[in-house]
Amino acid sequence: MSEAMISIRTSVNGMAHSSVVPARLTVAEYLRDELGLTGTKTSCELEVCGVCSVLVGDLPVSACAALAAELDGREVTTVEGLADGNELSPLQQAFIDTFATQCGFCTPGFLIMATSLLKTNADPSAEEVADYLDGNICRCTGYRPIIEAVLLAAERMRTGT
Amino acid sequence: MSVLPPFSLRRPETIDEALETISFDDLPLGGGTELLLAMRMRMLLPDSLVAITRIPELQSIEIDGGDLVLGGAVTHHAASSSSLVRDHVPILAEVLEQVGNPRIRASGTLAGNLVFAEPKSDVIPILLALDARVVLVSTNASRTLTIDEFILGPYFCAREEDELLTQIRIPTERVNHAAYVKYQTMERPTVGVAALDLQTAEGRRTRVVIGAVGPLPYRFDFLPSQDIVGKVIAAEVEAIPDAAGSERYKRHVTGVCIDRAIARLAEQRGR
Repeated sequence: MSEAMISIRTSVNGMAHSSVVPARLTVAEYLRDELGLTGTKTSCELEVCGVCSVLVGDLPVSACAALAAELDGREVTTVEGLADGNELSPLQQAFIDTFATQCGFCTPGFLIMATSLLKTNADPSAEEVADYLDGNICRCTGYRPIIEAVLLAAERMRTGT
Repeated sequence: MSVLPPFSLRRPETIDEALETISFDDLPLGGGTELLLAMRMRMLLPDSLVAITRIPELQSIEIDGGDLVLGGAVTHHAASSSSLVRDHVPILAEVLEQVGNPRIRASGTLAGNLVFAEPKSDVIPILLALDARVVLVSTNASRTLTIDEFILGPYFCAREEDELLTQIRIPTERVNHAAYVKYQTMERPTVGVAALDLQTAEGRRTRVVIGAVGPLPYRFDFLPSQDIVGKVIAAEVEAIPDAAGSERYKRHVTGVCIDRAIARLAEQRGR
């Protein structure tokens, strides 16, 4: 059978895209292979590890198990869209300042999920951060500096420092 | 990276349009959190997917004749953040905030969880405890089933191949107190226990529903005068041993969760 194709219009990190994609193309494949945005990783492909997290609208989605076709009419934010030009987001800067990256493979997913958390909770407790990031796995097991980074970013964003 | 098998995709905008195509080989697609994984593993190989995410009726959350009514494409996140759900059935919002992870909650739907009949579910036991019913619609018929009529076994539900689950209806004025206690070390709960003080047609009852530990959720109703002992109830359920624990261990944890849920009910009664 010939590959079924779907036309979509979407905005990725503020840039409009019109694409014709195979129905079976995942969001992760679309971002990485069609748009060249390789910041979004894939690993477990079971929505468990969190490395493929992206925002669709304001909500986090596992890009490994969502269809690119379902992005039609939606706005997507990937890790490449968090910085403002060369200016890192407060969360990205806090990850650097607390040494919250080790091998770095899980970092894009943690950044996206923490961004999503801070959109709805500007002053989370360490427990709330850990609970929200429960679906992200760091195989270097560097969870403590990641939680510290999120708390530091939240504090800097609240105090404007 | 293992790619999804090929399929065609339909994107209907009405329930009628969706029903025209849903069949054994043409499956409704909600959040895809279970379906796309099953397809990637080649456990399901449909000819087409019928995305129901663009049908406004299926996104609705409303109160209708004493029921909270959730459309068949309502996500865990949409339900748990809805003021209607939080006001009328707060225990449901509390449970939905604990499902999976934030990404699963943002995409996954309650109806999808029911149709997959995943035995390690938080959603199915609480809906059973709340006496929820599901509405199934096909091109020429509609029927309403209780949760125990609908969930028939692990990964096995009563949906016919041409049916779409359009509504979940939850009675709102029956619950006096409610608690949900679960124990989880992996992606899915080892055991989840819902305990509710209910006003039923036969009078007041305390209900205990035990999910995730066995092939189906278990429901026990007690009179207000009866003692509820976790260990005793846990002895009556089937505990399936797996990577999360042995049968003996799971039975023990089940008893502890029951006692904790009942203790939380007692706390609420004392307020």
